[in-house]
Order: sequence, then C-alpha cells, then structure tokens
Amino acid sequence: MKLLEYEAKSVFSEYGIPVPKGALVRAPEELTPHLPELGSMMVLKAQVDVGGRGKAGGILVADASSAVDAARDLFSRTIRGVPVHEILVEERLPIEHEYYASITIDRSSKQPVILFADAGGVEIEAVAQEDAGAVRRVTLSPLLRDVPPFLLRELLGDAPKEIGPIVNRLYRVFQEKDALLTEINPLVTTPDGIYAADAKLIIDDNALARQGITVNRDLSEREREAERHGFSYVELDGTIGVIGNGAGLTMSTLDLIEYYGGKAANFLDVGGGADKTRVCHAVRLLASVPSVKVIVVNLLGGITRCDEVAQGIIDAGVAPQVIVRMAGTNEEEGRRLLAEHGYRMVDSMDAAVRAAVEAAR
Amino acid sequence: MIYGDRATGVLVHNATGRQGAFHLDLMNAYAREVGGRGVVAGVTPGKGGQEVHGVPVYNSVKEALQEHDATASVIFVPAVAAGDSIMEAAHAGIELVVVITEHIPVHDTMKAIAYADLHDCVVVGPNCPGLLSPGECKLGIMPAHLFSRGNVGVVSRSGTLTYEVVDELSRAGIGQSTVVGIGGDPVIGQTFSDVLARFEDDPATDAVVVIGEVGGNLEEEGVRSTDLAVVAYIAGVSAPPEKRMGHAGAIIEGGEGDARSKARRLSALGVPVASRPSEIPHLVRELL
Repeated sequence: MKLLEYEAKSVFSEYGIPVPKGALVRAPEELTPHLPELGSMMVLKAQVDVGGRGKAGGILVADASSAVDAARDLFSRTIRGVPVHEILVEERLPIEHEYYASITIDRSSKQPVILFADAGGVEIEAVAQEDAGAVRRVTLSPLLRDVPPFLLRELLGDAPKEIGPIVNRLYRVFQEKDALLTEINPLVTTPDGIYAADAKLIIDDNALARQGITVNRDLSEREREAERHGFSYVELDGTIGVIGNGAGLTMSTLDLIEYYGGKAANFLDVGGGADKTRVCHAVRLLASVPSVKVIVVNLLGGITRCDEVAQGIIDAGVAPQVIVRMAGTNEEEGRRLLAEHGYRMVDSMDAAVRAAVEAAR
Repeated sequence: MIYGDRATGVLVHNATGRQGAFHLDLMNAYAREVGGRGVVAGVTPGKGGQEVHGVPVYNSVKEALQEHDATASVIFVPAVAAGDSIMEAAHAGIELVVVITEHIPVHDTMKAIAYADLHDCVVVGPNCPGLLSPGECKLGIMPAHLFSRGNVGVVSRSGTLTYEVVDELSRAGIGQSTVVGIGGDPVIGQTFSDVLARFEDDPATDAVVVIGEVGGNLEEEGVRSTDLAVVAYIAGVSAPPEKRMGHAGAIIEGGEGDARSKARRLSALGVPVASRPSEIPHLVRELL
C-alpha cells in the first residue's frame, strides 16, 4: 500500500529524517493559524496518489498573503481525475542542490538495493537512462541492521557526508516498516541543513496487519464484497466473467479470451484451497454484474479440490450461463457432481474459452 | 531428475494443519506408487507425539531429525511464521526447503533466504506448488495424475498455470523430467537461472519450457544464462499496465516488466514464445 506524502513524511520524521515545516489542511480556512510558522513563501501540495503530480497542476507556490486563495484554488481542482481533499502546505526551502535516494528490493540478488544520484528531481528516470553511471547502487544483506560505512562511502561518492546518516535512517524505515520502497526525491541541501523535500513509502500488503495498518480504499460494492471473501478481483469492461484459481492461470484465461476475440468482464482469482462457500460466493458475485453474459470457471486442482468447487458452483444456483473446466485433485468426483446437476463441462481451456466467447456474442 | 529422487526423505512443516495433512497424504500416496521414501515425519510445535496419516509428528525439525533421515522439508506453515520455519529447517541441516505458503511478508522471505544461504540450504518458493519428478518424487501440491515421465523440464512462476501446461504436454505424449514451480512472489529462492543451471547438468532433460508472468525480468536473465533448448510462454499480455511504484523499480528493471515486451525480448533471443498454452507442445516437438 502506498502512503500519501504527508503520511510518509510523518514516518520519516519519526525516524529522524528532517522534513520541511508543514501543516496538513482539509479546508482553505484551516491554513490561516499555520501561516506564521510557514515563512514568507510556501508550497501547497495536493495529497493525491497520482504520478507526475506537479506537471498535472497538483503543486502551487504562494506567498503568505495569497496562500489561502491558492489553497481554495487547489481544493477546486482534480489531479488526473482525482479530487483534492487534503493539502500539505510547507515552507519553501532555499534549495542549493537536489539529490535522489531510494531503497527497494532487487529481485535478482534477493536483497535490498540502495540507489543514490547526485542529480535528483523529476527527470531522474531520464537521467538514469541517458547515463547508467548517474545512479549509483549498492545491495546489502537483509540480515544487516545498518548500512556499513564502506557501502555508504561507495554510494555517496563526493556528495556531502551528512547524507550518510539520512540514508541509514531511511534503511531503518525500509526494514522496520516492511517497505517495498522508500524514496526521497529530491533530497535537498539548504544553507541550514538537509531535508527530504518529498517522500514516498510503499508498505508490503502482506505486512499491513503487523504494521497495524487498516486500509480504507475507494472500492465499489462488488470489490468490497470480493475483498471480504479474500478474492483477488479486478473489474474490466467486457462481457465474459472469469473465475480461476491462481493468478497465472486466471491471467492466462484472460489472455485466451482476448486471443479468441472476446472481452473479459473481470479477473477473479479465488486463491488456493478454495472451499465450496468461497466458490459459491465467487459465482454469485459475477452473476450480479449486469454486463456479464456468461461465466467461465477455469480451475486446476492442486491445493484446490474439484469436488468442493463443483459443490460451490451448484450451490450458487445460476446454472445455464456457467461453463466449467476443471482438472486436478478429486477431479472425477467433481465431474460427476456437475454432470448430475446439468452443468456444461468442457475438457480444455481452449474449448471453455471458445464456448464462452461464442455465448457472449 | 533434479532436487530430489526416490531416496529423498521428506519432512512436512505444519503436518497437523488442514492443507499440510491433506497433501502429506497425497505426497505419500505418490511415494508408494513410485517406490520412494516420501514424507518420513511431520513437524508442528506443541503437537509432538501425534500421528497424521500414519506419519509421526515432532515438536521441532531437530527432534524429527534425531529419529528420521530426511534432507528435504515442505512448508505449509501460516505466513507470519513461515520465515521462521525456513530458518529452523536450514539451521537443523535440511538441504532443500520447499515453501508452499503464500502471503509471507517479503522482508521475512529475504531474511530467511539469506539465512538459508549461510547454511547451504536451497529454498524453492515461497508461494509455489513445489516440484515433481515423474517416477521419482513429489515435493509439494502438484496434482500427480497429470504428469508423465519424459525428457522435458518445466520451470514456472505460476502454480495452476503450470498444471495446465503439464496437462497439455502429457496429452500430446510429451513427458516431463522435472517440473519446478519457483513461486510468484517478488523474492524467491530458486530463480529461473538456478533451475535452468540444474536442468543443464541433468542428463534426463533435453529441452525446457519456461513459464513466466508480468513483472520483473528474471525470465530473460534465466534464458540468457543457459544453452538449453527453451520454449517460453508469458501470461498477462492482456493485463492492464500496473500502477507505477516510484522510480526505483523502473530504474532497476528498465521499466519493461509487462508481458508483451518480455515476450518480445525472449523472441529476440531466438526463443520460440507460445501465444497460448495449447501451442506449447507443438513448439517443444520442433525442438526435440
């Protein structure tokens, strides 16, 4: 889960990473009492989860006399379709230089990787593409609690050595907050110190519970229902409902629908070890989508038992428009149950998808 | 075969859980069929002394190894404790750990794999279906009846999609030497490169099917590292582009983790790329 800038900055601040003086406001008038502490010039930043926020008009600069009007203006905007409900107002820093620092996971070496560049800012990816050496990187063992000084020296090169402790604190955030990414871009030097002018923090969804984070996302009624049952569910704009087990097979089923000229209405992965209740909920969920004309169930048993799946489909009671393809553990029993209740079973994934594309026409 | 054979003795972690017990039984049914040793003991802290499908359960890996000869572990432990189980197995001297558990926090996985490395313990997974060498051994949850013995290796990030491909191969009369599910998580123990290196040293394997997905670039890294004849399939060409995650991922991976550009890069390396699973047997036959 990606935190908003002000949430990330509050975490950074907790770990001793300096951030600009700022205030979070939810209405223009809330800004007035904070004005004295924010100096003569300030930056207003919309708190929206949108890439390229600055270019999309989500960041304004104002002086003390015009700040409230600027906030009103910003609250009235939508940034790439996202309405602005919160604004972070910060002192404008006298920037001398912008650096880039981030920590993420290197899949190839299976270790944390720290990236650092002398030229930070919005063009960092272009910089990296033009000059591979412009972004320095070091990987380190995940068993280490701190970044060893020799790695910091290698990483920072000629950059001010005061950045070292900040990188170390960022690494603590990365470890202790179960982060997939911590990023400071830009990390700025000013006459009176170094600051994280922006902050990015993405938490591993598999660690939200132990991080004490409850997610309150903007979900549709059906997406909420899917989440309650533990389904991995994405709504698309076609007419063929898809239920699969395992992300790979479900994705592959979607690909095959496109291959045969159909359009999928969704991606629904019931997960491993799905029991009959969950399968029943999955079928009913898709049957409740008005645009869905036919549902393909494509399941291969491993940790999933076909007899359980069959019973779930039967319990859902939406017989005619479900095309079932199953193979795996307890397959024969599943096949027998479905046949008894008049369901359409086909023998291959290609046949199931072709039949569904035909039925959806 | 690679990783294990009929002589491999196996432990099941959380043998007393619903899935652990269910698949322990299926693994031993397969071992009986092929004349292998299969699962010799279960491990569940606090449940020592019980039996699951005739297999004795111990409180720890250490206790189990005092009574039984085992070199491999299969882990069905819930996500929050799975990292600990991997380290326990490695610490006790287990050589191969297969992690079925999904949703393990990635920092736990990274630490457990780094710790296992220190003990020369090989980790397959997590979030994987395990591996199966037809006629030799099954470590994990793959549905054995779909498999047939032969000279084609399969390595895949997916679970059920792997069964689909194996089913297609078997129906076409193409048997498998070993099928390895390496897992779908961002951090996994054995990668495509590791498994392909083992296949390269395996006299029973003449060609390999590589099954990839959107995200990362480990498929390409693996294919570049091997001289074996390879057929590839990448799932997710119809997937909408993923939400961007800061700049770091794009900088590291060159920003090309989507299925279409992956398939394109593999083609450029001279690898036949199937457009759907049912095309794979035909492409494999052309290589053999």
